[in-house]
Amino acid sequence: MAQVVLKDVVKNYGDVYAVNHVSLTVEDGEFVALVGPSGCGKTTTLNLVAGLIPMSGGTISIGDRDVTDLDPKDRDIAMVFQNYALYPQKSVYKNLAFPLQMRKLPKDEIDKRVQAAAKTLDIVHLLERKPRELSGGQQQRVALGRALVREPRAFLMDEPLSNLDAKLRVQMRSEIKRFHQDLNATIIYVTHDQLEAVTMSDKMAVMNGGFLQQYDSPANVFANPVNMFVASFVGSPAMSLVPLTAVTKGTDVVLASPEGWELPLNAANAKKALSAKSNKVVLGGRHSTIKVHKAQVPGSVPGKVYTVEPTGDVTFAQVFVSGAVVNVSVDPTFLLRPDEPVFIEFDQNRMHLFDGETEMALKLAD
Amino acid sequence: MSTVQGQAIFRDVPEPKRVGLRQKVWNSRFDYLYVAPAIIVMLIVIGYPIYYTIELSFFNTPASLALSAKQFNGLDNYVTILTSPIFWKVTWQTVVWTVVSTFFAFMIGLGAALALHREFAGRGVLRAILLIPWVVSAVAASYVWKWLYHSDFGAISAMLTQVGLVDKPINFIDNTSTSLYALIVVNVWKEFSFAMIMLMAGLQTVPDTLLRAAQVDGASPWQRFWHVTFPHLRGVSMVTLLLLAVQNFNSFIIPWIMTGGGPAGSSDIWITHIYQLAFGRQRWGVASAYAVILFIVMMVLGYFYVRALTKGDDARAAT
Repeated sequence: MAQVVLKDVVKNYGDVYAVNHVSLTVEDGEFVALVGPSGCGKTTTLNLVAGLIPMSGGTISIGDRDVTDLDPKDRDIAMVFQNYALYPQKSVYKNLAFPLQMRKLPKDEIDKRVQAAAKTLDIVHLLERKPRELSGGQQQRVALGRALVREPRAFLMDEPLSNLDAKLRVQMRSEIKRFHQDLNATIIYVTHDQLEAVTMSDKMAVMNGGFLQQYDSPANVFANPVNMFVASFVGSPAMSLVPLTAVTKGTDVVLASPEGWELPLNAANAKKALSAKSNKVVLGGRHSTIKVHKAQVPGSVPGKVYTVEPTGDVTFAQVFVSGAVVNVSVDPTFLLRPDEPVFIEFDQNRMHLFDGETEMALKLAD
Repeated sequence: MSTVQGQAIFRDVPEPKRVGLRQKVWNSRFDYLYVAPAIIVMLIVIGYPIYYTIELSFFNTPASLALSAKQFNGLDNYVTILTSPIFWKVTWQTVVWTVVSTFFAFMIGLGAALALHREFAGRGVLRAILLIPWVVSAVAASYVWKWLYHSDFGAISAMLTQVGLVDKPINFIDNTSTSLYALIVVNVWKEFSFAMIMLMAGLQTVPDTLLRAAQVDGASPWQRFWHVTFPHLRGVSMVTLLLLAVQNFNSFIIPWIMTGGGPAGSSDIWITHIYQLAFGRQRWGVASAYAVILFIVMMVLGYFYVRALTKGDDARAAT
């Protein structure tokens, strides 16, 4: 396995930049998820690493080799595709053997490796079957096997679980994670599902509009999103964002709503709010840090319940606060009705503030 | 009252057990009524001629007598045909004509389809140009090619002599050793666009990710064609080859207009031969027997054609 380094990678089609100056380093044995909404450039980035499309600028190296100008077959990578891309006319055995045959390995070596991969993935009993005789999960395993036999320097996976049903997806998720741990494999994994990225990866690279937004461990991305896009993309339900105005009142700083209410900030948050380019500040909070009250308490702001979604363990609700939707969670015994007026309390120590103009997270200067 | 009605409705629901053929026909009697006009027309214009041809093939029809004065002669017509050396000569020529035309039309069509499958400037124009042979009338094309081949006024001989490849003009179609192949060239020219269109449609069905997977797996362009593209074209190739074969077996316009089967029968194939026998020499009985043999061969080809078609459906349904 090897390190993969992307330096200032660009892919543009005329004025449209699919990948805009992306730099990131995937360490040897690391599981990195490229995540973002459709059209964000994540799959293009993966195809650039694979060498399937030509780059417009920048360099990519795998291990100690610069592979920027190499063909896919010379990059020593293996790829797993969303629709598995198994050769339909070939048996499972021949599918697994194909990349080895292309590399002209001796027959007994091919057989040894195919059998070993089949054993690892528990598909020995399927070797004589054709892909169409397999279930989705089995096809996925064969696709993994075809990547595995190559003993490549890195695995590239393009939404490998998207075609599976929900239950199987959860199961295959843990299998791929196990696969990564057992092989200590370097994996770059593309997904639009932030939950997959959070649960599986060592690091996640959040992309939007061709730009790399944030590249960090899932825990850090979750706790300290760098901007409003990342904040609203990662987490389920997403972080709620309420656009407000920062107003200085004597020594205090409050966030004022156009509806007239004011939310006083503590010293640290006040400092953050004042560092914004203008007085436009967006308040962000995750459902787990927000309390719901039926009567006003100090530091709470008024809202109106929009929908209530009981899930058994916990009840989620959407509350309109100053025209924005705030996701909250309450105990199932705490009954809420649609259109009921409630009061929302943000945790001052765990709330997020964003610059309303630049959409960047407001941080305390060190 | 209401319970009786309920029972009656219940009885109308067909039992899940096997229903007899007569019952099935009776159950869908109105469906038959609706298609009856079409079936009656088909029986008159297709069914009756087939029957009449089969009947005639067992009769002697001397040219000096009216057709109604035909004399039954059992299998004599068939014996005459199968023992005549001309039959075997024409059959061999038909096989050469069909196999060579089909093979080259398919291979050139495949090459054109692969070339046109890639993006390049002027692709649309080139595709339209390559389609011209298919859309042009066979009669017009035959006359044009007849002129191109002409030994005195033809462009091909003129070019060859000017370039210096030959000393004197070649008489392509008035020569017993070249006439059949000269016709095959025209036929291939006329038909390759059809194969091209069919295979271009087939190429659209080759999944892009499979080609990419093969690329990552280390396959060269040729290996990608052989392991990924070609297997996907197998179904459409079978259908194309069979359609071309059936069409070539039944060819009439090009050979009839360009050589009429001549000179000395050197470019005669079954259809032109049957036409000659029936309408040239009024040997209706023998011509009919010929037609019956051709009919049987066509039915066999048709059987494989339908099987190839439905097999493709099964494969698609399974994936």
